Amino acid sequence: MWDEYLFPQSVDEALEMLEAHVGEARIIAGGTDLTLQSQRRQVPAKVVVDITRIPGLDHVEERDGLIYVGAQVTHAQVAASPLIGSLAGVLAEACGSVGGPQIRNVGTLVGNVVNALPAADGAMALFAMDAEAEVAEGTGRRWAPIASLYAGVGRCTVDSCEAMITQLRFPALRDGEAGAFERLAKRRTLILPILNTAVVLGIDGGKIEKARIAIGPVATTPFVATEAAAALVGRAPDGAAVAEAAKLASEAAEPRYSLLRGSTEYRKSMVEVLVRRALTRAVARACGEEGENGNS
Amino acid sequence: MSTRVVGQSVPKKDAATKVRGSRKFPQDFNMEGQLHAKVVWSEHPHARVTKIDVSQAEALPGVVKVITAEDVPVNEYGIIIPDQPVLVGEGDKVRWLGDRIAIVVAESEDTARKARRLVQVEYEPLPVVSDPREAMKPGAPLVHDERGDTNVIRHIKIRKGDWRKGLAEADVVVESYYITPYVEHVYMQPDAGIGYIDDHERVTVNSAAQWAGHDIPQIAHMLDLPQDQVRMIVPAIGGAFGGREDMHIQHVLALCAYLLRRPVKMVFDRSEVMTRTGKRHPYYVKYRTGATSDGKLTGVEIEIVAEVGGYASTSVPVIEAGTSFAAGPYVVPNAKVDAYAVYTNNAVTMAMRGFGTTQSAFIYEMQMSKLADALGMDPVELRMKNLFQDGSIGLTGHEMPEGVGIREALRQAALAGGWKEEDGRWIRPDLGPPSAPHKRPGIAVACGLKNVGYSFGSDDKSTVGVQLALDESGRIARVTVQTAACDVGMGVQTALAQMAAEALSVDYNQVRVSMADTASAPDSGSSSASRHVWISGNALVRACQDALRKRDEILMAETGETFVAAEHEFRGLSVRETKPYDPETGMCVPHFSYGYASQIALVEVDSETGETEVLKFWAAQDVGKAVNPEMVRGQAGGGVHMGLGYALTEEYIQQEGVAKTRHLSDYYIPTVMDMPREFTLVTVEVPDPTGPFGAKGVGEMTTLPTAPAIISAIHDAVGVWIDEFPATAERVWRAMQKK
Amino acid sequence: MATLNMIVNGKEASVEVGAGDLLAHVLRDKLGLIGTKISCGEGECGACTVLVDGLSVTSCIYPALKAQGREVTTIEGLPQEGQLHPIQQAFIDVTAPQCGYCIPGMILSAKALLDENPHPTREEINEGISGNLCRCTGYYQIVEAIELAAERMAEKGGAR
Repeated sequence: MWDEYLFPQSVDEALEMLEAHVGEARIIAGGTDLTLQSQRRQVPAKVVVDITRIPGLDHVEERDGLIYVGAQVTHAQVAASPLIGSLAGVLAEACGSVGGPQIRNVGTLVGNVVNALPAADGAMALFAMDAEAEVAEGTGRRWAPIASLYAGVGRCTVDSCEAMITQLRFPALRDGEAGAFERLAKRRTLILPILNTAVVLGIDGGKIEKARIAIGPVATTPFVATEAAAALVGRAPDGAAVAEAAKLASEAAEPRYSLLRGSTEYRKSMVEVLVRRALTRAVARACGEEGENGNS
Repeated sequence: MSTRVVGQSVPKKDAATKVRGSRKFPQDFNMEGQLHAKVVWSEHPHARVTKIDVSQAEALPGVVKVITAEDVPVNEYGIIIPDQPVLVGEGDKVRWLGDRIAIVVAESEDTARKARRLVQVEYEPLPVVSDPREAMKPGAPLVHDERGDTNVIRHIKIRKGDWRKGLAEADVVVESYYITPYVEHVYMQPDAGIGYIDDHERVTVNSAAQWAGHDIPQIAHMLDLPQDQVRMIVPAIGGAFGGREDMHIQHVLALCAYLLRRPVKMVFDRSEVMTRTGKRHPYYVKYRTGATSDGKLTGVEIEIVAEVGGYASTSVPVIEAGTSFAAGPYVVPNAKVDAYAVYTNNAVTMAMRGFGTTQSAFIYEMQMSKLADALGMDPVELRMKNLFQDGSIGLTGHEMPEGVGIREALRQAALAGGWKEEDGRWIRPDLGPPSAPHKRPGIAVACGLKNVGYSFGSDDKSTVGVQLALDESGRIARVTVQTAACDVGMGVQTALAQMAAEALSVDYNQVRVSMADTASAPDSGSSSASRHVWISGNALVRACQDALRKRDEILMAETGETFVAAEHEFRGLSVRETKPYDPETGMCVPHFSYGYASQIALVEVDSETGETEVLKFWAAQDVGKAVNPEMVRGQAGGGVHMGLGYALTEEYIQQEGVAKTRHLSDYYIPTVMDMPREFTLVTVEVPDPTGPFGAKGVGEMTTLPTAPAIISAIHDAVGVWIDEFPATAERVWRAMQKK
Repeated sequence: MATLNMIVNGKEASVEVGAGDLLAHVLRDKLGLIGTKISCGEGECGACTVLVDGLSVTSCIYPALKAQGREVTTIEGLPQEGQLHPIQQAFIDVTAPQCGYCIPGMILSAKALLDENPHPTREEINEGISGNLCRCTGYYQIVEAIELAAERMAEKGGAR
């Protein structure tokens, strides 16, 4: 399958390894997706550069109101992190929904982004959290908004043959802010969703002052329902506002017909249900009626 | 009957090695100098093969041989009729995706895998028939043009009483159209094995199977060898569920070993198991049921179209069995049934837990649920009014033999599930509030019955031997049960050991059970039809009695011998003479023994998304006598698992004969999280006077009522009938939208 | 080829592997540890579950070289001094295995769970084995076996 398996000791060394095997080397972290893709010869790679032993990429920490998550942090670690649980609960919920325990133990949140699937649970929460990714490439490091990383189904603008994402960051939720994650799937676990949504909103002085709604898979990339979110801002966090936003989100979403996932009609309709439920829970949490980790 | 070992949950004979991971499954064997084989599969569901070019593959270093049709001595096989080519040659047709074009044999698995991609095959595509209702129409493309001018391979007619009058006199007639899905067995151990020539020059295959003894004649026919030159060894088997009744791999390995005279190993990957092995038959069913206003059935009219796929496999007996239960465990005075088995270019369909009766259970139980709803009658009460009892006359005019346990099973299930009986009336439980405002609770019951052993005059027999090693004082020191029964996981070896210990009055630990090797163990028939406990148990108990007699003779004669052996062949027909369907009326004696089940599902349906969650489940299984109660509970849990997947999540999807669900990531068997949080087994023991210690069959009966119970509970929750399942969230949602 | 050095079941193991070799194959084919089963081959069923530094992973999609320098535990490593691990014994005692093909993976998932959480609720046990598929049992006796093992381990721990 592969000819060489390398363990760089630094990000620079990893990038050098990529450069030394131009076009034939590829970054691997948990490898839960890449291994299968390579086996099925969907993603060619002769050399894999495993970044899981580079010191300094395993952090989950808060600095100046921002949470940083390193490229080695697995879904299981995100889901179990007390810091994420209290300051970004929607992400913990989302990461706890990925695959089964064994996949969550190995697959990383950054990998979830690089794999660029529009159904990815972890990525959906990152969209709702307005995350950024630090990209390390030949010319240096830069922070990129999460949406800029997505070019289509399975296509990340950070090419793993040339560059890597070293960490993610996003604002920690403050008082009056909360999120929630919902998914619909053909069984209860160990399965990709037919729909998922992550929402974050902030309430101040009895009014919604900010909102973000991410939905997948209803387009080739995770879909941010900006109109629906905008319709919430300035309104009291009541059932009517939530229902209206959910309806707008459903109208904006354009899920394709999928033999395995379901019809356009059904999934479009379910966008409304899922977004409404997620917003309702987020409102309850923001108003302190439910713990950030609570399940409804 | 008071028993000492039978009825105890002794540890399974194979449990220790299974928890250690040391028990060897077929893929765990390797032999010195072994080669590796890979199959070149058909790329079309229906096409003529115009050219096969193996030159590039054979040129790859490490490739030993690419076997094609002309290498096969007799290029045909099939479990009932030999309608399948082992390999499809130039000029011949492929009829589904599971047809084989060639077998690549190489020094390493990797080389075999690479070489298989180098075999060039050219096809001339033919029109694909992918719907049996179309396939049975005159003028439809023929799947087997060599076998006559129709795709229909069996038409069963049942005409009982005056069905027109029966329906005309009904106060209520329920009419439905059902479609049951294609589903896959999903045994966890992918097909694998090794073929080799043993020390006695026998073509030997070490592989999983359900009936080693029946693979022998098929392989011998293919190789044009006497049967005693073919040997099957069956090690641990990772599940079967009917899916290993046909040969998927055994004949291929035998062919490789025969041609190359070296050990050849082959292991399927999951996608090969998914897309190249048989499935459960879909049924397309028109069903009318009539009843009086007080709930007495007056007649049924049923048409079943069962999809056979590309080859016959066991379809004919499957449809025969399924049809014999088309009206369920109910007395129906008038009936018209027509059942058709029809070739298509979809996946071959074959035996799967229930052998055609699982689909029947869905249709007859949905009809009963609908009838109860239409009559405004409690569903338990309606069923009680019509259920079989000893001596009832069944659909094919036969008398139900003593030991009918379905009433007792239903009664116990209903009581466990919260029903109350008051003066012959049944009153359903109050379900209480749902767990969330958008959830709707629902509860429903379903029944099922299934034959034990082979039917319609088949000479079902099992031979089991027993060997006693005596100590100096003539006491039994050790016992060996000799049987080629394949333990697919259900515990036949344990159950037989318990029965031997009981019959011989020895300790369970003194009994061992031989390996399933056709060279040394007698043919006990298949591990199918829920038959071993009943038929092999009967054979074993009699062999034990013979052995004890011989032992007593030895002791009497004071010969000093310390070894006693006895063997008994038990024939099902010795208990009851079964007979095939009458061609015009369908009247017959279908089966010699039965097992019964009744189950209750409590569900919550999400009224917005259509998702169903099964919260609680009660399974009342009439097993006659539970030889090992914990093994019975294991069977019931597994049966309900399979039935729950059937009801809600599992669907093998094909488009124009091409599989779309190719992995476990798109074919969804239930996880532990999908199972009901509370599961209660109620073991019912209405003895079968013909069974050993009163025992009946268990395995298949556990899955029959599950899907109709769950899907009827969905109706109870949200008022929609899901007649085409699985009842996915979208299907339920759509039905709710239409309401 | 590269040399993979790891601790397997408490013993040092050194094997030559290819860059793309997967841990399940290395364990089975090079170290003869056949208790690690392959069923779906894509990390969807858990039959191949082993522990790497105590965490459960699906070894059929786990690059073998990831285990470089790590501690790997397979089903063969569970018995201590010839005694079955309490989880293994509990699986026998409640008749949990049927065909047995999923059982090694189940037991290792259970071990990972109990090592982390010695007193799990039924819900936590379900979560713990939610990545392991079984077709024979309906999971009930498997869950009960894990409960029984947890009880027995707690008693034993208390006595010590």
